[in-house]
Amino acid sequence: MSETSRFTEDILAAANQKAHAIIDETEIETRQALDQAKIQSAREANDIVNSARAEAEAVRRRKISEIRQRLKLEEQFEKSRIVTEVLDQSKERVIETLKDERRYLAYLAALVTSGIREIGLEAVVVHLNVHDLSRVNTIELEREISKLLGKSAKIEFSSEPVKALGGAIVSSKDGKTRIINTLDQKFEALEPRLLIEAGKTLFGE
Amino acid sequence: MSGIETVKVIVEAEKEAAKILADAHTRADEIRKRLDSLIEQQRKETIQAAQKEATALVANAQSEAVTEGQVFEKDVQSKMRETLDRASARKGLAVEKLVSILMESEL
Repeated sequence: MSETSRFTEDILAAANQKAHAIIDETEIETRQALDQAKIQSAREANDIVNSARAEAEAVRRRKISEIRQRLKLEEQFEKSRIVTEVLDQSKERVIETLKDERRYLAYLAALVTSGIREIGLEAVVVHLNVHDLSRVNTIELEREISKLLGKSAKIEFSSEPVKALGGAIVSSKDGKTRIINTLDQKFEALEPRLLIEAGKTLFGE
Repeated sequence: MSGIETVKVIVEAEKEAAKILADAHTRADEIRKRLDSLIEQQRKETIQAAQKEATALVANAQSEAVTEGQVFEKDVQSKMRETLDRASARKGLAVEKLVSILMESEL
């Protein structure tokens, strides 16, 4: 073989070797890039699935929470209905009980006496509702009040009726000071206590 | 072989070597191009599979939530009924207590 042939063969061999190296290097690069891409895709896929798992859990929780909320409102509504019924029945029962004149007289005397003590005056005006003005024996009422006070009371009964279910308003002669001891006021003032008591009795263990 | 012929042979060999290298580069470019499309295809398949799994997970959870919700609701309603029945049974007693407060309490 001539020198020239050897030289050209060397040139071609070197070129072939380099060509192989280029291809091999590219294949290695590609494999690495593919592996890297696989890892990246797997990460993305994992994020999608994890996010779906979280969403699935949220779906369950939302559903249970919606039901819990709805049932809680239902329960509160029902409880409130029962308490209101009890409150109304109690008021009706009191009004019914106080239709008994003897019983009402004693009750009214206690209310007026409480008013007189609170106002702290010797002479007072007592205001009743239109029904009581016609049915209550004021002389007897005054006697009962004196008994409860332990002294004679200077009471004037107003001829002007007040709007109330029962009970009385005790006022000073000039009307500037008033103690409202009507049934309506009593119901209103006692309502918070009645609600607590009803709740304890109805729903307590 | 004359000097000129020798140079010609060498120049031809250099040309051929350059062609071999150019071919190798072309092949490498093709491999890289195929890689891009391969990566894209592979990513698409992986993401599609994940999205399918995700959709199934959420759909399954929705269906399970309905069933779980029904069980939960039944359970809570049963307890609620017990509470309300017990309260209804105690209404008379509660009325007695409230009447007693209304009749006896001082203003």
